[in-house]
Amino acid sequence: MRALFLAAALLVAVPVAGQAQTNPNVSGTPTNPTSMLPPVADELEVIKALQGGRVAGRITIPDQQAASLIQPGGRSWREFHNVTLAWVGGIAVLGMLALLVLFRLMKGRIPVEGGLSGRTIQRFNLLERANHWMVASTFIILALSGLNLTFGRHVLLPLVGPEAFTAISQWGKYAHNFLAFPFTLGIVVMLLLWVKDNIPNGTDARWLKAGGGLVGHGHPDSGRFNAGQKGIFWITVLGGAAVAVTGYILVFPFFFTDIAGMQLSHIIHSIVSVVMIAVMLAHIYIGTLGMEGASDAMTSGQVDLNWARQHHNLWVEQEMAKGRGATPPAGAKAAGGD
Amino acid sequence: MLIKRSEARAGRQRQAAAYAGLSSGGLDRRAFLKQAGITGVGLSALGTIPLTTIRPAAAGPVNHQQPVTRVKNICTHCSVGCSVTAEVQNGVWVGQEPTWDSPINRGTHCAKGAAVRELVHGDRRIKYPMKLVNGQWTRMTWDAAVNEIGDKLMAVRQASGPDSVFWLGSAKFSNEGAYRKYAAFWGTNNVDHQARICHSTTVAGVANTWGYGAQTNSYNDIRNSKTMIIMGGNPAEAHPVSLQHVLSGKEQNRANLIVIDPRFTRTAAHASEFMRIRPGTDIPIIWGLLWHIFQNNWEDREFIRQRVYGMDEVRAEVAKWTPAEVLRVTGVPEAQMRKVAEMFATQKPSTLIWCMGATQKTVGTANVRAYSILLLATGNVGKEGTGANIFRGHCNVQGATDFGLDVTTLPAYYGLDENAWRHWSRVWGVSYESMVARFDSTAMMTTPGIPTTRYFDAVTMPVNAQTGLAQRDNLKAMVVFGHGGNTVTRMPEAVKGLEKLDLLVVADPHPTTFAVLANRRENTYLLPICTQFECDGSRTASNRSVQWGAKVVDPIFESKNDYEALYRLAGAIDAAAARRNMTFRMQEEVFKGFEIRANAPVAESILREINRGAISTGYTGQSPERLKLHMQHQDKFDLVTLRAKADAPAEIAGDFYGLPWPCWGTPQMRHPGTHILYNTNLHVKQGGGTFRARFGVERNGVSLLAEGSHSQGSELTDGYPEFTTAVMARLGWDAELTEAEKASIARQGGSASWATDLSMGIIRVTMEHGVMAYGNAKARANAWNLPDPIPVHREPIYTPRTDLIAQYPTLPDRRAFRMPHLGQSVQNRAKDLAPNFPIILSSGRLVEYEGGGEETRSNKWLAELQQDMFVEINPQDAASRNIRDGAWVLVNGPEMPAGKATRMKALVTERVGPGVAWMPFHFAGWFMQEDQRSKYPQGTDPIVLGESVNAITTYGYDPVTFMQETKVTLCQIRAA
Amino acid sequence: MARMKFLLDAERCIECNACVTACKNEHEVPWGINRRRVVTINDGKPGERSVSMACMHCTDAPCAAVCPVSCFYTTADAVVLHDKDLCIGCGYCFYACPFGAPQYPRVGNFGSRGKMDKCTYCAGGPQADNTQAEYIQYGSNRLAEGKLPLCAEMCSTKALLAGDGAVIAQIYRERVQRRGYGSGAWGWRTAYRETVAI
Repeated sequence: MRALFLAAALLVAVPVAGQAQTNPNVSGTPTNPTSMLPPVADELEVIKALQGGRVAGRITIPDQQAASLIQPGGRSWREFHNVTLAWVGGIAVLGMLALLVLFRLMKGRIPVEGGLSGRTIQRFNLLERANHWMVASTFIILALSGLNLTFGRHVLLPLVGPEAFTAISQWGKYAHNFLAFPFTLGIVVMLLLWVKDNIPNGTDARWLKAGGGLVGHGHPDSGRFNAGQKGIFWITVLGGAAVAVTGYILVFPFFFTDIAGMQLSHIIHSIVSVVMIAVMLAHIYIGTLGMEGASDAMTSGQVDLNWARQHHNLWVEQEMAKGRGATPPAGAKAAGGD
Repeated sequence: MLIKRSEARAGRQRQAAAYAGLSSGGLDRRAFLKQAGITGVGLSALGTIPLTTIRPAAAGPVNHQQPVTRVKNICTHCSVGCSVTAEVQNGVWVGQEPTWDSPINRGTHCAKGAAVRELVHGDRRIKYPMKLVNGQWTRMTWDAAVNEIGDKLMAVRQASGPDSVFWLGSAKFSNEGAYRKYAAFWGTNNVDHQARICHSTTVAGVANTWGYGAQTNSYNDIRNSKTMIIMGGNPAEAHPVSLQHVLSGKEQNRANLIVIDPRFTRTAAHASEFMRIRPGTDIPIIWGLLWHIFQNNWEDREFIRQRVYGMDEVRAEVAKWTPAEVLRVTGVPEAQMRKVAEMFATQKPSTLIWCMGATQKTVGTANVRAYSILLLATGNVGKEGTGANIFRGHCNVQGATDFGLDVTTLPAYYGLDENAWRHWSRVWGVSYESMVARFDSTAMMTTPGIPTTRYFDAVTMPVNAQTGLAQRDNLKAMVVFGHGGNTVTRMPEAVKGLEKLDLLVVADPHPTTFAVLANRRENTYLLPICTQFECDGSRTASNRSVQWGAKVVDPIFESKNDYEALYRLAGAIDAAAARRNMTFRMQEEVFKGFEIRANAPVAESILREINRGAISTGYTGQSPERLKLHMQHQDKFDLVTLRAKADAPAEIAGDFYGLPWPCWGTPQMRHPGTHILYNTNLHVKQGGGTFRARFGVERNGVSLLAEGSHSQGSELTDGYPEFTTAVMARLGWDAELTEAEKASIARQGGSASWATDLSMGIIRVTMEHGVMAYGNAKARANAWNLPDPIPVHREPIYTPRTDLIAQYPTLPDRRAFRMPHLGQSVQNRAKDLAPNFPIILSSGRLVEYEGGGEETRSNKWLAELQQDMFVEINPQDAASRNIRDGAWVLVNGPEMPAGKATRMKALVTERVGPGVAWMPFHFAGWFMQEDQRSKYPQGTDPIVLGESVNAITTYGYDPVTFMQETKVTLCQIRAA
Repeated sequence: MARMKFLLDAERCIECNACVTACKNEHEVPWGINRRRVVTINDGKPGERSVSMACMHCTDAPCAAVCPVSCFYTTADAVVLHDKDLCIGCGYCFYACPFGAPQYPRVGNFGSRGKMDKCTYCAGGPQADNTQAEYIQYGSNRLAEGKLPLCAEMCSTKALLAGDGAVIAQIYRERVQRRGYGSGAWGWRTAYRETVAI
């Protein structure tokens, strides 16, 4: 099971050198006399021979992590954490926010063409909505507590002071570790619920070609989910799987892998996370402020028919054909009813 | 952002203190080097910080407002003799500090020494006396326990005689506890201790060569050597602090450090030359080295002429060991043999260091003799940087040997003959006849007892003077002090013996394997004994220095010290005897002359009696007062010479540290002790000496006395015999005896030898003449009283080289120590078994554990570092058996019960060569796959348990001492 | 002010583990936490060397650089310490540390880490020197008493040196010059970005 887990994550981190092999004269013959000057275990020689790899040896205590004597990989990981991740994360998150502001300024809120019809159609059932919100709420906490580990020190710590910051970070860590489980569950359920509607097809190509209707005018055809939403879906599912797997490796330190594997897990986890955060910012924007009528889909589950026709015309046709017609607004009378 | 509140102040203070005298400005090169690890290390500068600048309290859970007492004791593990400084607060040992002042360890420790504080906090110690009631451990009071034990001992005595009780003492005893008097008054020679299984063959071999069975030089003196051979020893793990001296010497002198061993040990890793040999081929190696030495005339001819007897017979034997034969038998090629021989013989001074790789063999005594002969041939005895540096195993194994916890001798190697008994009877103030009456017979009184390696055979073997056990009855009762049950080979046989005993008493801080190994249900007692840290007393390090350890804290729980336990037991024995209307008494007679305080004899008073009687070994000058002065002024002794430096106070001026024995005469004579034995470059009164005249004056017309060699300032410039009143008279020196001395000799019957003269007048007068009272003889290359007068190679009993058995057979079957000793009959049987057990099994020490390991495996700081029993196996052997590093394996040996095996982890390593496996011997608590944890009294089970190597080891004993063979047997290993 | 460092002379280290148990003894370090350890490279082969390793108290310490809560601080003696009251046990310092120094007690759920523990250079923690509070969280504070780390003080062969970097480097230099060989000051290049030039 462990092996599967690892293989799935492609995280079989092989130490550069388990045992420093520096002496070519090593001999297994029992009676071979071995003169041992000059000594060959000079630190520089060993490190040179390993070309910057890990210097490891034998240790009697059970903790085999302790058998690693010097791991220069720590330096690369530090560089990643303090520089690369900070830049990538900063650019991804702030850049996306900037893009959204720009988009809003240029395009404004996307209205429902022809106004609300007053008639609605069921877009997401209760299970779908509940699951979405479980994933969404845990994701937000996971994201914030995760970002805190990288940026909090520079952003929040000066504001609240070390004790309060530690308290926040400590609770953040607990939340991060525990909420990982509902988040993962939600991702799995999401996959099961929506995968059939998220298989890419020809419509998506056309939709993309038309810029999704956001750029220029006219609405390309779209099924239940347009290509953009499918993108979000696959980013969520695949990215979620990646952060989940790497996250569990990190939560069970050294149970699955060694120090190099832990470092790699962290790198994957954090990069995928910031990308997901950026994507989710866009998703949240479009789903709420950015588009009239969109938020209904995940609140009441009932969307306005006009909105649906505008954005998911093929899906509406499909639903209609199935006889699951639109529901008139409350109080509306059936045609010819009186 | 975060600044430590007290940082600036503390920082200044610690800098000032830490580098007092070590700033770059005010330090000359010599002072620097001295502090910097060639002779010392920079850190030793800390030793110069006056205590007043340091806080009054120690590290640890210390109340820094309360005063702290510092107490010095000696580490209770190996024989190096490291001083331990304990910080005590309110009767609790709260911290351990480096003892910078000790010239032996200079503040340092190994893993065990740095963890000794745990021993007196140990929650896994025996907390109160217990006995087995229907297989369950049941608490009892001390009084009830000793009364029951006393009663049962007397029952055995009445039914089977005194020889049916086996008294097993301990190398962990203080000298005062190890004093053999107790067993003598019980009336048996069945008293032994761990020296039997560590260096008994060394003592026999070395004493038979030049007089005394002890390390000739010291750890510190190794700093003078230019070539060191460490053969059959791994001091880096067994005596780590000794490596401080070895490596400093190696660095300072750019000395050759040659390690000869079957195993690439941690010591070998620091060698300049490593020679891998086939286990059990020590004598071919030594003779092979001598072959090159004789061939190239590298021997020291003048030394041999003056001071060695019988070297020509050695030449004849050595001639057989041509390079080709050495290669065939040992696997070592000629070039390396020649290189090592040349280094050892020509780059002098050279020393030979050995441990149990040499001694624990069926040829142990012969090995040691061969080593000694190599030293003699190259003139490497009796000078700085030379000698037989024999590293002994336990903290007081030297002292316990010296004080006669031994089946062959009374204290101080007087032997067991009538003269010896008469001498000690005089010392003890009892009549010789009264001592005879305590024994089964005069014959049993002078017959060596049963060695600890065979105690179980003496329980189970039929009584028969010709074919079985030659004493009145089998062993029926066993009293074990401070001894592990897993340290003796053939454990499956030991179990049978233990199960058959009428009485088993284990007196120890820990239950030990003895308490759990067998399936006993009744008549088994556990007495809680404290460690030496909870006890006053002296202990003798391997270099013969005697150090006084002061009690750090009172015994914890209900434990008692050895003195009190033995005293109470004697009282209980007397009460039991009285109930049986027997006239036999112990307590009053044994403890007569000792000061008794709070129901326990006082250590100082015991040492004073020893000082009066242990004349032959020179244990007479080491009064408690002098020893305590040495501990107090440890900083006044030189690191290399061990001599008190110029600024030493007058009462220790000129002394060698710890008054290494022999320290002749009364304490008032102020003999300085003997740093280097047989050193003719010093006056006798300054610690000089000659080889001892122990074996007569001539043999077959050849003189055994030295020729033209004598200690400095001697009035006799040629060899001379040992001194008696008759020799004194012939030289006219008897007139120089004082009236008191003459009166004392007259009281002894008018004649005495130097060793039995209680007045020590003979020693005093001979010293005045610059003469050694024990004579001035040649060392014996030919020891005609041994089974092999000139050592010859004999294949191990269980050898994979069955092709060599015909040419190099082990000794024929014979008798010794009251029982049969099988040799060739077992070897012939083993020959057929060898193909099924293709791997040689050897065993040895780990640095974290010691001996049977119960104590150290119960120490949480040590146990964490070695949590599994393992077997080292070469990658080739592992690969062919599908064994991975760290995997479980099953190991069995040729004498194990059919179908049984031991289970342990594999450590796949090139430390051992192909065909060789190695195991540590400290584990117990699993026995042939049975986990015995539940058999320990609750809460006393050691943290770490494991299979014992001695479940696998086989028959094989040295003919001279019954040393067991632990280093070469055969086994088979398979993946579990 | 001194610049405190550790220097391990691998020519002298015999893996006796005195440093390990001295540390346990001095600070009552619990089972499973190894502030110091000895690793043997080339085990069983010529060229085998053992190296005792703990926190090296690096210059520009990676642990401090990556700590999300900034719980590390460097004393005037250049000893790298941390405040356990601020530590959240995230494990980042272990990823960054070249020497595997940070240790974590296992607490609560899964293998989750408690507050990090590491070698303090026997210099305690942020509380007042040699108080009970300091001892419980960090162990004793020998530096404040004018003593050096006990591991180095008790090293059986004087292989492990502790003290001002310049002084111990000089001691090592003298040794190497005297004996004519050395296997480098293990970890110095990584920790202090320098070596002991002979």
